[in-house]
Parts: sequence; C-alpha cells; structure tokens
Amino acid sequence: MNTAAQKNELIFGYSSGNLSEAKSLFVSMYLFLNSVAAKKASIFDNILADNLSNLDEVAPKKINYKDCINASSNQNLEFKISKNYNPLTNLIGSIDNLNWKLIYKGFREFNIPLKGSDSIKLIKMDPGTSVPLHSHNGKEYILVIDGSFCDEYGEYKKGDMQINDQKIKHHPTACDKNGCICLTITERDIVFFGKLGSALNLFTFIKSFFK
Amino acid sequence: MILLLYHYIVVLKFKINKIIMENERLIDLVTKISKNRDERAFSELFDFLAPKINAYYLKNNLSFEQSEELTQEVLSTIWTKTNLFDPERSKFITWAYTIARNKKIDLYRKTKNKTAEDEDIRHFLYQNNKINDYEIELSINKIKKELDENQQKLLKMSFFEQKSHKKIAEELEIPLGTVKSRIRSTLNKMQKYLS
Repeated sequence: MNTAAQKNELIFGYSSGNLSEAKSLFVSMYLFLNSVAAKKASIFDNILADNLSNLDEVAPKKINYKDCINASSNQNLEFKISKNYNPLTNLIGSIDNLNWKLIYKGFREFNIPLKGSDSIKLIKMDPGTSVPLHSHNGKEYILVIDGSFCDEYGEYKKGDMQINDQKIKHHPTACDKNGCICLTITERDIVFFGKLGSALNLFTFIKSFFK
Repeated sequence: MILLLYHYIVVLKFKINKIIMENERLIDLVTKISKNRDERAFSELFDFLAPKINAYYLKNNLSFEQSEELTQEVLSTIWTKTNLFDPERSKFITWAYTIARNKKIDLYRKTKNKTAEDEDIRHFLYQNNKINDYEIELSINKIKKELDENQQKLLKMSFFEQKSHKKIAEELEIPLGTVKSRIRSTLNKMQKYLS
C-alpha cells in the first residue's frame, strides 16, 4: 500500500521524535532528497511546536537561567553546518567507498550500523538486475538514493519512496542506465514466490537464526 | 449570526496578533543573546520557555527530575547555539521545539556516538532555503480550519505527547482500531494542504 497517509505518518513520526534510529535516518534522507517531503516535515514541526504555546506550564523547581549558562561554559559558540552535509554519508562515509556484500549477481547490500528495533541497509542493483517476485510479512520502506527502479506500480526515481506491506507483491528491476541504489528498511522478512522462491525463503529462514 | 462571525474574526485576529508579537519579542531576545551574550535577555527567555519545555517533557511521561534535567540541556543549547537560529526562515518556538525533541530522542538513543542533533537535517534545510516556517503559514491555518477539535486532539496526543494508540484508546474510551483509523483519516484529510 502506498497511501499518502502512511508517508505522512512516517514524517509526522519524525517530527514528533518517536521513530526508531533506522527510520529516523531513513526519513532524514527522504527530506534531504525530496523537497515536497521537507516542506511537509516543516508543516508538521510547526503544528507540533504550536502546542508549546497552549500547554499548562510547569515551572522547573531546581534549575535557573544561570545553571544553563554555566553548564555550557566550555562549549564552542561558533557552530556551522557544512555545505556538503548529508545525513547518510555523515554516518557511513562516501557511498563509493563502501564494502558492499554481494548477495547474487548484480545485487549488493551494505548493512548500516544503527541500533534499535529496525534494521536498515543500502541496496545496490546493477542496470537490469531484478529482485524475484516477493511480498512482506511486515512493512518494507524503500527510498531511491541514486538511479531508479521500476515495478508493477511504476518508476521510482531519486528521492521517491515506496512503502510495501503484505498485500503488495512486487518485482522491482533497476531500470536506470546506471542501475539503482536504495535505502531500505524491512520490518520483517520478505516472502519470495516463483521458481527460486522456496530456495530464497529457506535462505531467509536459516539467516534468521544468525540475527 | 453576523455578530457571532464578527466576534470570531476579532478573537482570531487577536490570537494571531498575539502570536506575531510573541515571536517578535522572542527574536529580539535571541538577537541580544547572539550578538551581545546578554544574560538579562537570556533570563527573560528562560522564564518564558523553561516552564513550557518542562511541561512538554512531563506530558511525554518523563519524571520531574528527568524533565528538569532535559529542560536545562535545551536552554543551555539555546544559549550556545543562537548563531544557528535564522529569524528570517525559522520561528523561534519551532526552533526551540526541535531542540527539545532532539534531547528527548537522545535519552532513548542506543547508538551513542552521534546525537539526534548531528542527524537533524532541519538546520541544513533552513540554511539552504529549502524550508521556511513563514512560507507555510497559510497551509497550517487551512489544516487547522479543516480539522475538527477531536482530530486535532488525536494528533496532539499521538505526536506531541507520544501516547501509544493503546493509551489513547483507553483515555478516550474508544476501540483501538478506531484510534488507528481516525489517525489515518486525519492524516489523509491533511494531504490536500501538504503538497
């Protein structure tokens, strides 16, 4: 399912600060690449911030403004945001220098080392490479970082996001001439169909013991 | 009827004026802090903001001690990082909210080598003119008008107070499935003002 409400819920979750570390990074990248999503996040931030003006205030008892100044006395006062800021490469370095793990011909993965309930990875598909038809036991979030992929639902380009659940069966193929790099979160294992399906399902079953 | 409408417009105008004046006063204080390290201005800002931030953490179910501790961290960050605040693009209350929210994320964060602030993309988006709190005001007003009181309350409980769907269902005495579907439909309803 690819409804706007699901995407809005994810961005609202980001604004509210209740996402897992993996999803938080995922949405950061989404806002970085997609200006419509960035605008939505800013609308949500402002709506949530407005609540601060309508709260029943509770004054702190033990702290005062002097404590706040003293607590920060050793800090540098000149902060700058780098022009080349990118939330993903900020964490893992340049995508060109990653130690990709080959899963099968034309398909590579890189696991991003973040703790918490969801796992997040980068997927790199060479031009024309496909993933066998599959669906998901939980939700799968895909964000195109570079290039594009096509499936039964259309073409997804840099900055586009797809959310899939158990109702969706899809068969993505890297359709850009340079292939496709995606950031993905899979909440639970995927279920494969077709000729190779049972072998791949067995593989994910065995893999689950080593998580 | 006309009288009622007139009353509504006057009240709305008063509220908007109050918010604009409040934002201007806050920006004036922050500018004094940023340029002159003005402790008196900071003390005034503390009196305005600390009880709100503290109440926000309490609403998010933190203990009084934790709330105070995080409130101090937020105000310290504001004191040191005022140079990152851009009054042309950002409203002060929104900027302060994102700092408070980041501190709350860090409280539960398991990957300790980076903070939520390191990953917060908003400063980057403000600085590169990709977002502007003042340009979206019209969309926000339309959303507020579109959503009824119950829908606004649901959004507040779920996303500002971070109550679980289960907790919301208990407090409002409605089934869990209804909470989920109402939040979904509220988010759907907002969609036409979001793109």
